[in-house]
Amino acid sequence: MAVKKRSDLGVIYEFKTWRDITPMNTSAGTMLHNKTGSWRTIKPVFENKTPACQNSCPAGNDIEGWIKLLQQGEYEKAYWHLKREEPFPSVLGRVCFRFCEEACNRIPFDDCVGISALERFIGDRDASLVPHPDLPEYNGKSMAVVGSGPAGMSAAYFGRLLGFRVAIFEKLQVMGGVLRVGIPEYRLPRDIIAAEFEGLAAMGIELRPGTAIGKDISLEELTGRYDYIFLATGAHGSRKLDIDGEDESRRIMSGLEMLRKVSLGEDVACGKKVAVIGGGNTAIDVARTALRMGSAVTVIYRRSEDEMPANPEEVLEAREEGARFRFLAAPERIELNDDGSIKKLICCEMELAPADESGRIRPAKKDGALFDVETDSILTSIGEVPILDYLKGIAGNEKDVVAVDGTLMVNTGGNGKIFAGGDIIDIQRTVVNAVASGKKAAIAIDCDYRSADFGDVLKEISIGNGSALSFSRYMNWNPETPQNIHMVVDSEKIVYDYFEKAPRVMQKTGDAETRKNSFNAYRETFTEDEAQQEASRCMHCGRCIECDNCLIFCPDMSVLPEGDGQFGYEFDYDYCKGCGICFTECPRHAITMVSEEEGDK
Amino acid sequence: MRQLLKGNYAVAEGARLCRVKVVSVYPITPQTTIVERLSEICASGELDAKFIKVESEHSAMATLVGASSAGVRAFTATSSNGLLLMHEVLHWVAGARLPIVMTNVNRAVSGGWNIWADQTDSISQRDTGWLQIYCESSQEVLDSVIMAYRLAEKILMPVMLTYDAFFLSHTTEVVDVPDIELVDEFLPPYQPEFKLDIDNPRMFGGLMSPDYFYEHRYTVHKASQEALEYYPEVCREFRDIFGRDYDITEEYRTDGAEVIVVTTGTITSVVRITVDKMREAGRKVGLMKLRMFRPVPVDRWRSILGNVAKVVVIDRNLSPGLGGVFADEVQAALYSLENRPSIYPVVAGLGGRDVTPADIEGIINHALSSDDPAGVPLFWGLKE
Amino acid sequence: MERTTQRMIEIPRDVMTGEELWQPGVLSCQGCGGSLAMKLALKGLGRRTVIVLPACCMSIIVGAYPYSTSQVPLLHVPFETAAAGASGVRAALDIRGEEDVVVMAWAGDGGTFDIGLQALSGAAERNEDILYVCYDNEAYMNTGIQRSGATPAGAWTTTTPDKAVKEESKKDIERIMLSHDIPYMATASVAYPADIYAKFKKIRSIKGTKFIHILSPCPPGWQIDSADSIKVSRMATQSNVFPIYEVENGKYTINVYPEKEVTVKEYMKTQGRFRYITDDAVNAAQEWTDRKWEKLKGMLK
Repeated sequence: MAVKKRSDLGVIYEFKTWRDITPMNTSAGTMLHNKTGSWRTIKPVFENKTPACQNSCPAGNDIEGWIKLLQQGEYEKAYWHLKREEPFPSVLGRVCFRFCEEACNRIPFDDCVGISALERFIGDRDASLVPHPDLPEYNGKSMAVVGSGPAGMSAAYFGRLLGFRVAIFEKLQVMGGVLRVGIPEYRLPRDIIAAEFEGLAAMGIELRPGTAIGKDISLEELTGRYDYIFLATGAHGSRKLDIDGEDESRRIMSGLEMLRKVSLGEDVACGKKVAVIGGGNTAIDVARTALRMGSAVTVIYRRSEDEMPANPEEVLEAREEGARFRFLAAPERIELNDDGSIKKLICCEMELAPADESGRIRPAKKDGALFDVETDSILTSIGEVPILDYLKGIAGNEKDVVAVDGTLMVNTGGNGKIFAGGDIIDIQRTVVNAVASGKKAAIAIDCDYRSADFGDVLKEISIGNGSALSFSRYMNWNPETPQNIHMVVDSEKIVYDYFEKAPRVMQKTGDAETRKNSFNAYRETFTEDEAQQEASRCMHCGRCIECDNCLIFCPDMSVLPEGDGQFGYEFDYDYCKGCGICFTECPRHAITMVSEEEGDK
Repeated sequence: MRQLLKGNYAVAEGARLCRVKVVSVYPITPQTTIVERLSEICASGELDAKFIKVESEHSAMATLVGASSAGVRAFTATSSNGLLLMHEVLHWVAGARLPIVMTNVNRAVSGGWNIWADQTDSISQRDTGWLQIYCESSQEVLDSVIMAYRLAEKILMPVMLTYDAFFLSHTTEVVDVPDIELVDEFLPPYQPEFKLDIDNPRMFGGLMSPDYFYEHRYTVHKASQEALEYYPEVCREFRDIFGRDYDITEEYRTDGAEVIVVTTGTITSVVRITVDKMREAGRKVGLMKLRMFRPVPVDRWRSILGNVAKVVVIDRNLSPGLGGVFADEVQAALYSLENRPSIYPVVAGLGGRDVTPADIEGIINHALSSDDPAGVPLFWGLKE
Repeated sequence: MERTTQRMIEIPRDVMTGEELWQPGVLSCQGCGGSLAMKLALKGLGRRTVIVLPACCMSIIVGAYPYSTSQVPLLHVPFETAAAGASGVRAALDIRGEEDVVVMAWAGDGGTFDIGLQALSGAAERNEDILYVCYDNEAYMNTGIQRSGATPAGAWTTTTPDKAVKEESKKDIERIMLSHDIPYMATASVAYPADIYAKFKKIRSIKGTKFIHILSPCPPGWQIDSADSIKVSRMATQSNVFPIYEVENGKYTINVYPEKEVTVKEYMKTQGRFRYITDDAVNAAQEWTDRKWEKLKGMLK
């Protein structure tokens, strides 16, 4: 910051008589006395906003923030920065649904930034970093987390960061929930999960594997021992096909069960020819796991490939590994042999009806268009459902999901403060949504503990126009959150002329033949060079990165290069005429014009 | 060293002796031999100056605006239409207080092409702010160039020296060309207080609001008037070194004169011999040679002309609808005198028409014999 | 063909944050391209520069007596005399032994294309060691938007009023200057500041007459929002209406191949001054632009 304001340097020339006319009537000095700022009706302000990627991330991952640190080679800082909103980069960097990449403003330009791969790079590089730098003293309250999947992990992590003493109860002997028993090892190696739990343990979080609620310990007992309970037992049941023959054969199995057994090392007989029913990511996981067990796999999905919710990259890889796909087909009935083995699967051809009011295309059976699929096993993967037996007796849980209020609290009728999240509540069932619900629950629990109004808090910490919450904002870890957290910078606000097209860097992937013969992870984490190259594609939407455009383009020399803290610049309002060029030419919309009179935007 | 020189060459010699640093000239008859001569001496190194061969008189003067603002001694020469083309820049130069010296060969202004002697070109520039000195001989032209720089650089005003086309520009006379060392003694190098200078950056000629412009114009006026104080001093010093005497205004045989003839340029020489002849004949006639026309030496004119009965002003220029401009200005200068003389304005010799001793005698006789000057110009020699 | 984005040549940070030879308090309108062009030019040229300024917007922008925003010496000269005045300053500086000081004549399009063309041609023919910059806002903006030789066909001005828009194309000043065989001729645009910086830095080492033609947006004259001033200028280049190139000793280089291409119509639609243009005139302008662009590309061979 300049020691002296430039306008203080303006000198008014004393002029009283004709004798004061300078020899040869020359002019000198400056025009600094002429404060052209008085011409202004609107003025620019530096204001960081929420990038489209962060806006779309259910967990509110401050992607731009850590990519910036990554670019600076500050990997450790990037790691901890990342973990402020999304605690498990090595995991999410592998299995995330990647809403962020779909929202990336680079898509209309060339291709999205490989955010997930970068997150994985950051997570893998510094996964063993301990201790956590933001760890507070305990606040005297305790919290029991039931279920060690991503929602539970997240609630435990954020709960601990808020000062709660936390224990995670897990029914199985292994920690990780769906990460451990629902996602195949080739996508998420077990040591990665283990490392995350090491990290949680190092934060002082108690891990209680092999402790099933309702069996090893009752919910009542838990509510008696802990101030707060967070339920996150996941959706480990499978939706049934509900067709003839389904219940009569052990050659028909839920895909989830098959994945769990494989994960736990139990015997699974898959059969030579497997039909996988479904089109989600789990279906693909099931198909590829079956491929690795030596089966020939056909995936049967009732809509077309375009509507398939599974990640296209995974679909492609499954294809490469030999999976066959039969779209627009739905199982009609199963004919069994007497020994219970499958004779044939009879499917019906489907057609897509025009989109209904909700915009979703509904498949409909074509009359009489039946055909046979030869198979000796059927793996179903048409949807997961929570198993909520242990909750019997708690009000409001008649349906498939646990009813919660806006703070994720379960109405227990006064029998303890129980919150719920992850796949057992009515949210989109992805790992990142689960993490988001854990974060939200932790904040809600903290609000309850501090008797703060969660609704008021939400207004302050909601990111962009979505439902994600900023933990940094909640913790007052400023200035790392943007001032204008509610304004989303989408592609219309980006000045693409300032960017260069660059091909996306992909993670190296093993060839199909090798990978289908093993459960080993086949995708390689970025090298530092690859990470830097890919990170350089980030446009830093909504965030000032001191590109100097405002400094260069200001026709009134009113951008000072010495900033005050968060920004590298400062406007000199003594001279800024409010032309708005800096606003228009900011490549990433980190400047906002506000009315001079009202302070309005 | 005494040399036989045409008027134009005397000008070039003057520029050489003053060690001008930038010369920017565009050729026009009858000034062309100045351009040629300056080209030669710049090319030969006799004069260490940058010669900019511009594409017009306008640019000639404009380049000198640049050169003089950058603090070096600058020179140009022109004539007639060329001078008129410079007109805009002439105002600029005076307003900018640039001590540029220019010689103008007085030539008639076209339309109706005419290349011969006539002062309407320089008269048209009288309000530009340039000091104007009218010369009679080649020697006077040379000496005046040297004195002009002394004057200009002291008061920071441009000086225009004028002399008649062909009668002087192309007539060979004996001229004493002074030693350059003596000129150096008389005329030190130009070192302005302000110039375009990287180490002291200033802006020259900026926009002036009504708050300043009036006072600025007044300073230009004051500077011009300073010439009346300073030029006699310059002339005295010049005389002390070079032995030749000049003044703002020259008087010749005015003692007890009934009629004084006011002239400029080469007509003066004709008047001088006519006055001699008429004095010998006992006629009480005298001559006032008007050298400095801007600033107007009102006091000198009054002291010379205030006690005479009749004044004849011969103008080799014409302001159509008025008459001769010198007559007009002399009348104006004398008007407030209680016993002001009768003024006989005469227009003669336009466009190089010869004005002979007989013409002068006729003009003087006309004045002597008339008691009613009528105030309207007499167009002497007009074919009626 | 090689594609170039504008940040290919960066302006060094220490230059942008360094000495301000063009200080704030300037009297330019909001979004003025001229003031910006001058600021960037001086970043490239540095302190050892003298500016010669004929009548143009910049005569006002720089500040009125007794003040000046310029921290390099500056000489105001009459409208049509930029090149002549600069020639004189050059001569004097050479006499003073300051050959390294760049003498920059800085004139508008009126002072260059029209009234100052004679002096400019004279100076270029003499190959004066000066830099002549025309910051071109495509009309007499200082006097209130009158048509100049640089006004493009189809544009409204106060002397091509209402629907009587200018019918004639913009004068090709670049070819006029190139026909003088000067050592350096370049175009530039405030939309590409790094290019301006690089060119002004470069000319320091070139002897003889240098001519740089800068497209300089004028929000009031072009009838655009001041905030869009750079964007519209950029579109001028993206549409090839104003290509960015340089010719050094006869060798042509196109400095900016914009990533994004826009049509002349799209460019014109951004500006109120073209609101009366007919479809035929738009098509003619597109053809004119395409022809010139092809011709320019042809010069690369």
